[in-house]
Amino acid sequence: MEKLSIKSKIGIILFLLPIIILFTAFFLYPIGFLAVTSFTKWDGLSAPTFIGIKNYLTLFKDPVFRLSIKNNVGWLLAGGFIQVPLAIIVAILLARKPKGWEFLRTVYYFPNVISVVAISVMWMAIYNSGYGALNGFLKLIGLGNLQRNWLGDLHLTYPAVVLYGVFYIGYFMIIILAEISSIPQQYYEAASIDGASRFQQELYITLPLIKNSISICMIIAMVYGLRQFEQTYIMTNGGPANKTMVMVLYLFKKMYGFRYGLASTSGIILLILGVFVIVGVRKLFKVEKYQM
Amino acid sequence: MNEMAYSRVRNDRINLYKSKTFKNAIMWIVLGFFLFYTIAPLVWLVISSLKTNGELMGAPLALPKTLQFQNYKNAFEVSGLGRLFLNSIIVSITATILNVIVSSMASYAIARYDFKGKELIFTLISAGIMVPVSALMVPVFILIKNLGLYDTKLALILTYSAMGLPLSIFIIRGFMNTIPKELEEAGVLDGCNFYQKFYKIILPLSRAGIVTAITFQFLYCWNEFIYAMLLTSSQTNRTVQVGIRFFSNQFTTDYTSMFAAITISIIPAIAGYILFQRQIISGLTSGAVKG
Repeated sequence: MEKLSIKSKIGIILFLLPIIILFTAFFLYPIGFLAVTSFTKWDGLSAPTFIGIKNYLTLFKDPVFRLSIKNNVGWLLAGGFIQVPLAIIVAILLARKPKGWEFLRTVYYFPNVISVVAISVMWMAIYNSGYGALNGFLKLIGLGNLQRNWLGDLHLTYPAVVLYGVFYIGYFMIIILAEISSIPQQYYEAASIDGASRFQQELYITLPLIKNSISICMIIAMVYGLRQFEQTYIMTNGGPANKTMVMVLYLFKKMYGFRYGLASTSGIILLILGVFVIVGVRKLFKVEKYQM
Repeated sequence: MNEMAYSRVRNDRINLYKSKTFKNAIMWIVLGFFLFYTIAPLVWLVISSLKTNGELMGAPLALPKTLQFQNYKNAFEVSGLGRLFLNSIIVSITATILNVIVSSMASYAIARYDFKGKELIFTLISAGIMVPVSALMVPVFILIKNLGLYDTKLALILTYSAMGLPLSIFIIRGFMNTIPKELEEAGVLDGCNFYQKFYKIILPLSRAGIVTAITFQFLYCWNEFIYAMLLTSSQTNRTVQVGIRFFSNQFTTDYTSMFAAITISIIPAIAGYILFQRQIISGLTSGAVKG
């Protein structure tokens, strides 16, 4: 590349300045800020006082915070190990281009363009014990004795809040389907001449070749499980009896209770868990380098 | 060779009769289940929004006797949906424009020039895609308050533009990388400088990538909830998503009007998706993704 003229150099600086300012203000500064204030006692009004790792100890001793980590981990596992595998199955089926596959691909993605808030309110209505569609449906198919108050039951509420989203597979399905479509057809032809069944072909050709997008999907699904907030906030507000509490909601409540130090600490723990997830999935799939 | 091919055809035939219909049936059951699961709740929502509350309570799954379009009128009156929509549109459009201008400029510099620190800048920004931004509530709240922007649309515009940058940069830079060097050199021969090259050559050629980035950024702005709730308090600045949260208080027991309000709030996103689905799918399939 030729040497840059002074004019181009100035241009580059001018063109990068806005992004550097915005990125610093909304990513780098906040992360640094969290790291520092996580070691302080602070109500958001007066000056913070340094208290070492006391916030971390407080959090790990708090049964509600421990429960919220546990709930987030459950969410993350449901995303990574139920939702993504379901998406793989559907992607493999659609990759055979059955009649109407493009229509199905479009429709499966619908829930992803609707806001999480609207979807949550909709499912709140579906789960409603009085007029909800779920109880109505159970009655219709003769399973009326299974009718429940889905969002008010100590044991059912957490699975009810977590599981409905698991079957919305459109987002991951599209990513995986694209990667399957890029596999050269000859691989399958060669395998079928060797007598491999369709199932064997998917198992030994497709799956290893889409490892990269599977790991990307798992990372996204799991990070989503960590940072999820709207569903619980809207549907249960963490209840009943904190059974559905998650980390971001915990952070939010601490913040509204003017315990900013503790809120920062839970933010940092969330970020660290996010890094663990990314590193962990990469290790699991032995992915060295990402194109993303 | 011939014989083998024949026997393969024959075996295929046998397999076809033996199991193809069965396998097909399973495939359609699976695909049908997910189709039902995706569509049925939405259909139920729309149908319920056209019933009376009495009908909904009595038979949640039944069709309405007469279509209650009145509910949609109520929805607008009770929730102030018009105002919420206007706010969402202002915030989403402005934040999308700002985001795409900033990221196109940066992508141009990063994709078309070599300079010190380029790798560092790009690595940092792309790592931003994976940051769970909801963890940053405390500092972003403090930042906005210190800037004196609490409870303004500008607070949301700045926050959304910034938080969408990693993804937009990723999409647009990827696109600009693929533009052949020769096209740019032709421009240099014509005497284009740094800026002219940007808006006369690179920008028009990256249109498809930019439209993809716009689509994702707009959907993100339209659907964002956490920061909309955190950074605004008054009704004059509330967006649709925050409005939905208050529906259950506003409508109290008028559930079907609430369903109408939710239906209305969903329409723009679905319409936008149907219009721009090619861009969305191409954006997702280039590996440029964020949950």
